[in-house]
Amino acid sequence: MIPRPHAAEPAAEPAILLAQVVKRYGAHRALAGVDLQVRRGEKLVICGPSGSGKSTLIRCINALERHDAGRIVVNGIALTNDEGTVQDIRQEVGMVFQHFNLFPHLTALENCMLAPRLNRGLSKAQAEKLALAHLERVHLADQARKYPARLSGGQQQRVAIARALCMEPRILLFDEPTSALDPEMVKEVLGVIEELAASGVTMICVTHEMGFARRVADRCVFMDRGEIVEEGDAARFFEAPESERLRHFLAQILR
Amino acid sequence: MTNLSLADLAGYLRQLGEGALITLELFFASFALAFVLGVLIGVATLARSRVIRAAWRVYASIFMGVPSLLVIFLIFYGGSAMLAAVLGEFGARIDISPFGAGVAALGIVYSAYVAELVRGAIENLPKGQFEGARALAIPPFIMWGRVILPQVMRLALPGLVNVWSFMLKETPLVSLAGLQDLVAATKIAAGATKEPFIFFVATALVFIAFSAASLWLANRLEVRLDRGQRRAPVRSPAQAEA
Ligand SMILES: Nc1ncnc2c1ncn2[C@@H]1O[C@H](COP(=O)(O)OP(=O)(O)OP(=O)(O)O)[C@@H](O)[C@H]1O
Ligand SMILES: [Mg+2]
Repeated sequence: MIPRPHAAEPAAEPAILLAQVVKRYGAHRALAGVDLQVRRGEKLVICGPSGSGKSTLIRCINALERHDAGRIVVNGIALTNDEGTVQDIRQEVGMVFQHFNLFPHLTALENCMLAPRLNRGLSKAQAEKLALAHLERVHLADQARKYPARLSGGQQQRVAIARALCMEPRILLFDEPTSALDPEMVKEVLGVIEELAASGVTMICVTHEMGFARRVADRCVFMDRGEIVEEGDAARFFEAPESERLRHFLAQILR
Repeated sequence: MTNLSLADLAGYLRQLGEGALITLELFFASFALAFVLGVLIGVATLARSRVIRAAWRVYASIFMGVPSLLVIFLIFYGGSAMLAAVLGEFGARIDISPFGAGVAALGIVYSAYVAELVRGAIENLPKGQFEGARALAIPPFIMWGRVILPQVMRLALPGLVNVWSFMLKETPLVSLAGLQDLVAATKIAAGATKEPFIFFVATALVFIAFSAASLWLANRLEVRLDRGQRRAPVRSPAQAEA
């Protein structure tokens, strides 16, 4: 990137830019040249059949998987092989996983405090204050001293969200945040994500929760076989899908 | 029953005490070496490099296959020559004591077992633990120290307790290289007083006592490492919220 300290419209620069991104596993192309731009503050929902490359796509954004070709730019930082660049990008990007990935030997509070203390140089007291504030945001301040195994699935996922928030990222990635949860816990987690969506953070969420997508998404993207097949605003996306593949997919999940 | 005078008995007991101290020093030093080496090797063997994997297989088959006594003798009698070959003139002047040879030999042999345990435990950790740490931009060194290894220790603890017990029982081998440890001192006392039964049983009791103390400690440690692993009693979501 050319440094532009006095850029006229910084908001015009996308939060995330993917250009012709390819990811291969052996001979298989999990991403077959994906182009995608996400505006600052935009809420994007990605859906698509199993194995279509949704997880691969968002995991390439914070370099949990390294892309083989194409260009990825996150908040103006071009993703390269340089470890420092990767760390810079991960500071900007919070991620929430399907299986929470909380650290089981640390309490909810300690899970939230670890990264800010290391990466943002906070004192123990500052990190604790920050962590409690974010646990409060996901309505779990009263569970802060519990270990993950003592929390319900929905509570664990909300702790994982708070943990990501403690890095105060400008971008949040969610990979099927509710698909490992019992049905009665899905609502509390989606509710928290909806509240976050109102805060102006940029968000990409892989999910098949269509009601959530309609309420929250500015734009929906449908992936199949490593490609983006169709995209559009939520209403049009669900009511008037253009491609046969999306119609077929919607028919299956709404059945 | 016995013609052992009190003064003699006190003398032998002092010697046994000194021997016990040496045994404990040998044990702790070699366990520490085995632990540190084993953890480092265990982590290193997870690298995808083929050279490292091949080197690990050779290391494991040597030290898991060759009797510890042979390794002790090899280092005690052959160590000076080896050091001379590696370090030249300077190495030739290093004298290897029975104690040093014992620590090196037991440490290296048991590092292979510790490495195997650590390696297995790491492979059993969900991949999500590494990914969670990486996504939070936690640097690799701290990820290992704060996130991965504490969980690995919990998983490997039963195996490590076994290694601990085996190593303790193997320490008397070093007396065959001339170390005046507890068993060597017992042998002298038993021979001189013609009271083998009393002295050997007493020494056996010392080992049993130490072993019992270790197990008690291991249990406490297990409770500590298990913090957070017990699942909550089943409650309805409404109660859990409260
Ligand atoms: N580590 C890996 N090694 C080999 N192949 C992989 C790996 N990870 C993913 N794949 C393959 O890449 C393709 C895309 O996988 P990905 O996980 O991105 O799909 P997904 O859309 O997230 O599916 P799901 O809805 O099941 O989570 C799949 O065909 C999968 O088998
Ligand atoms: Mg997936």
